[in-house]
Amino acid sequence: MGPVQVLVIGLDQPEFTGEVLAELSRLRSAGIVRLVDVLVVARRDDGAFETLAEPTAMTPSRGQLAAAVLGSGEDESASMAEDGLDRPRLPTWSLADSVPAGTTAAVALIEHTWAAPLRDAINRVGGVPLEETWLAPDDVVLLEQMMPHDAP
Amino acid sequence: MLLVPRQLRRTGMTGNVPYYGGRFTPAQAYAAAHPRAERPPQPAPADASVVAAGGGSRPSRAEQLEALTHLLGSGVLTEAEYQELRTRVAP
Repeated sequence: MGPVQVLVIGLDQPEFTGEVLAELSRLRSAGIVRLVDVLVVARRDDGAFETLAEPTAMTPSRGQLAAAVLGSGEDESASMAEDGLDRPRLPTWSLADSVPAGTTAAVALIEHTWAAPLRDAINRVGGVPLEETWLAPDDVVLLEQMMPHDAP
Repeated sequence: MLLVPRQLRRTGMTGNVPYYGGRFTPAQAYAAAHPRAERPPQPAPADASVVAAGGGSRPSRAEQLEALTHLLGSGVLTEAEYQELRTRVAP
């Protein structure tokens, strides 16, 4: 399986537009990404999360896979603190870090199928990823301006 | 249905990025917790003034403790790591 991205999108209305779904469908047909699951959540004013029913079934699992991966039935903060030497050091996140109280969000699990061969090739040659990030939009504009116009 | 968010590890698309914002990586922490065996004593230099000029002398206990305190204050070491390393500083 390729790397799986978690995309959390705040929404006024808990639904993806047809345009977003059409683009994801096109990317899947091209072998670029696969929409594994989508979970819609609402965070109450007291901070608690509730899962919401999808307006339309976007994936066969209808959010259950995402809920199982992103959530659990108990508070893990205590067990995390006692979990050996390494685990507490690793940077972590949760939906609670991303979704403000009183808002609704769609959480998509997107498999980047294109990246699996690249990841495997890096591993085979012993490459060590030192950083991964995205260029800021302004820097992308700068890059575009510097690129030759006939570049693919 | 209520959902209690899990703490998930952050990772990159191509794998775990080992540099965690200035903190020790797990490998670095392991290395710090498992110091290598003492190196065999080096033969004494013919000219003692070379040692003095080269600055190769071992830092003093006060200097080592000061360095550890700096690492603790800057967030590189946790309190537990600081206390553990502090016990290793030679009296």
